[in-house]
Amino acid sequence: MGRIKEHPILGEAPEKKKVTFRFDGKTMEGYEGEPIAAALKAEGVMVHRYTKKRHEPRGIFCAIGRCTDCVMIVDGKPNVRTCITPLKEGMTVQTQYGVQAKENGKEGFDETI
Amino acid sequence: MKRYDLIVIGAGPAGLSAAIEAAKCGMKPVVFDENARPGGQLFKQIHKFFGSKEHKAKIRGFKIGEDLLKEAEEYGVEVVLNATVIGLYPEKEITVRIGDIVKHFKGDYILIATGASENMVTFKGWTKPGVIGAGAAQTMMNLHHVMPGERVLMLGTGNVGLVVSYQLLQAGCEVAALVDAAPRIGGYGVHAAKVARCGVPFYLSHTIVEAEGEEAVSGVTIAQVDEKFQFIPGTEKHFDVDTICVAVGLSPMSQLLKQAGCQMADLPGGYVPVCDEFGKTSIDGIYAAGDVSGIEEASSAMIEGRISGVVIAADAGYLSEDEKQQKCDELEKALGGLRQGMFAPKNRGKKLETTEEGIRLSESLLTKGYIADDEISRYPGFVKKAGVHPVMECTQNIPCNPCQDACPKGCISIGENITSLPVVVADKECIGCGMCVASCSGQAIFLVDETYEEGYASITMPYEFLPLPEKGDVGTALDRSGKEICQAQVVDVRSTKAFDHTNLLTIKVPKDMADKARFYRR
Amino acid sequence: MISVDDRLKEIGEFIPQPDDDMLVCRCEEVSKGEIRKAVHAGMFTIEEIRRFLRCGMGLCQGQTCSRLVKSIVARELKVSPAELEPAVSRAPMRPMEMEVLGRDGGDR
Repeated sequence: MGRIKEHPILGEAPEKKKVTFRFDGKTMEGYEGEPIAAALKAEGVMVHRYTKKRHEPRGIFCAIGRCTDCVMIVDGKPNVRTCITPLKEGMTVQTQYGVQAKENGKEGFDETI
Repeated sequence: MKRYDLIVIGAGPAGLSAAIEAAKCGMKPVVFDENARPGGQLFKQIHKFFGSKEHKAKIRGFKIGEDLLKEAEEYGVEVVLNATVIGLYPEKEITVRIGDIVKHFKGDYILIATGASENMVTFKGWTKPGVIGAGAAQTMMNLHHVMPGERVLMLGTGNVGLVVSYQLLQAGCEVAALVDAAPRIGGYGVHAAKVARCGVPFYLSHTIVEAEGEEAVSGVTIAQVDEKFQFIPGTEKHFDVDTICVAVGLSPMSQLLKQAGCQMADLPGGYVPVCDEFGKTSIDGIYAAGDVSGIEEASSAMIEGRISGVVIAADAGYLSEDEKQQKCDELEKALGGLRQGMFAPKNRGKKLETTEEGIRLSESLLTKGYIADDEISRYPGFVKKAGVHPVMECTQNIPCNPCQDACPKGCISIGENITSLPVVVADKECIGCGMCVASCSGQAIFLVDETYEEGYASITMPYEFLPLPEKGDVGTALDRSGKEICQAQVVDVRSTKAFDHTNLLTIKVPKDMADKARFYRR
Repeated sequence: MISVDDRLKEIGEFIPQPDDDMLVCRCEEVSKGEIRKAVHAGMFTIEEIRRFLRCGMGLCQGQTCSRLVKSIVARELKVSPAELEPAVSRAPMRPMEMEVLGRDGGDR
């Protein structure tokens, strides 16, 4: 996938500060202030979470904060809409399983919910 | 509790326009918007808008958004961003989440301009990552400069589906196909034609059987449907795609109005508040404008917003009855202009056979996205004569007339009726300036010179892709369907500020291809 | 007003369909079959269906599925979707944390 460096109508992408963040233990790069989801997309990440009941993968769907399908665990907080949450230097982003992160190799599906 | 003259909910085209008009009259409106930036969906619209001068025709959507923000600032409109209105109560009290607290405000008047949300359809695998709304694609590519996918299939041929498909091509994505369960293309023919001539196939009376892939979309199967929208076995077609875009219409986001207790109506276009012509709902002091009161184009939303702003200002005593009447008459005339033609609200769902001029509509355009070779000559914009001259492949009645004003020599006429098909004025001489080509929001105007060189014709076309070909390049000419037809040499490339990023590419093709060559591939 | 028993007779038995397993409510993961079955169990309003199955009660608050649910229920009841009263519209219109709601300052 990747970024559009030059666009026939919009011209060159505006220059922004590069930042690094952690996604499931990997170091990734993005631009400060862009939505976390945009940075993940540019890095080729498609799956943002696995659902609670069916354990199915989900990713970006509406990209404007309405559908809540792109929620992930950001800096330890679950259910963060990554499509409208600005990326910051040093953020920790984790795939969300149900409403939790994967812990100790065990998927964090909370069957009591 | 803080009290405002006017609280506007939603800083999109309708909301901002309303606040601007009210502020012009001396009111002090506040606009709340849940997003981080104002403008609603305008900043994702990178195509030139339709209409006439008063509707800001041939200006790109995001530019209109910038102008609107400037105007709002000029009149001192207070816009509060990241402020989500979470409740609206009949006493005109709202609750707003700002940061980590919930605040209450009251307004003498409240205008709801919350816009619309995208409709969805279900198919096997529709929840997989890679299935996205068309709006999501626009957000990714036009706001965040990230490609939504490499190879995309578009479901839906309304204007959103068509425009976003073209924008995907501009962003460097491949569009595998446009698919629609309906038997006819829903959006403007000119929008379809500019996608079709790039070689994108249209599959009408088809829909998605299944989105395939394990963790994310890796392919899609479509199949033909019968009149009852049931799959016809044996008609399946498969495409390797990583993204499926869904553009199957919009629904008004009218929940706040319902919560407030406004009288609502469930219409085919969505669940909307019952409003008078000025956007006044059943609750005194609560108004609605833009898509939330019925889905239309952004151009209409802006005028609706202005009308509501004027009426509110008058009601609040900031305008005399005469002043209000004068402003409203003007705005309603402009709005009336936009609500004409084949795609007017009153024609929704109707199957039209001919244009207002009585010319048969192109069946090929409605089902395949391009005008067939044997259909084009019946339209008044298609003329053959010696020397360079415009050929206008504008075959549907849509409210749009920038081409008429663009020609410095008066070669093009639309006349009084803004929806009429453009006509080439016989005794006026074309100088080949190309202003008409660049001004046509539908990219439907070409300059053709059949006597360019012995045995060769030249075609000047709008070109909005990168990399821009250079003079002397040799490539391939494509016909309206996107089929390669002959070799083409680039003889001129023009880009000026006045063209606003619509480059004019002139190619030389064998003379017998003059009526067919409409696109160029390197 | 038509009684539930009469209406249940009128709409007939629940007949399984091949796509009953398809999710309709993405947030709460409610399938088409579950919604159809709920209608045959006597839930005729969107409000009842929502409370029974939680479709439209998840994070997105029915933003994506409410139209879809409505059309499924309408088809099952053999009425036009316009005849069905949409679910009640309540604050908050967007998902938010309880702690934020708790910090509602009232009219101060």
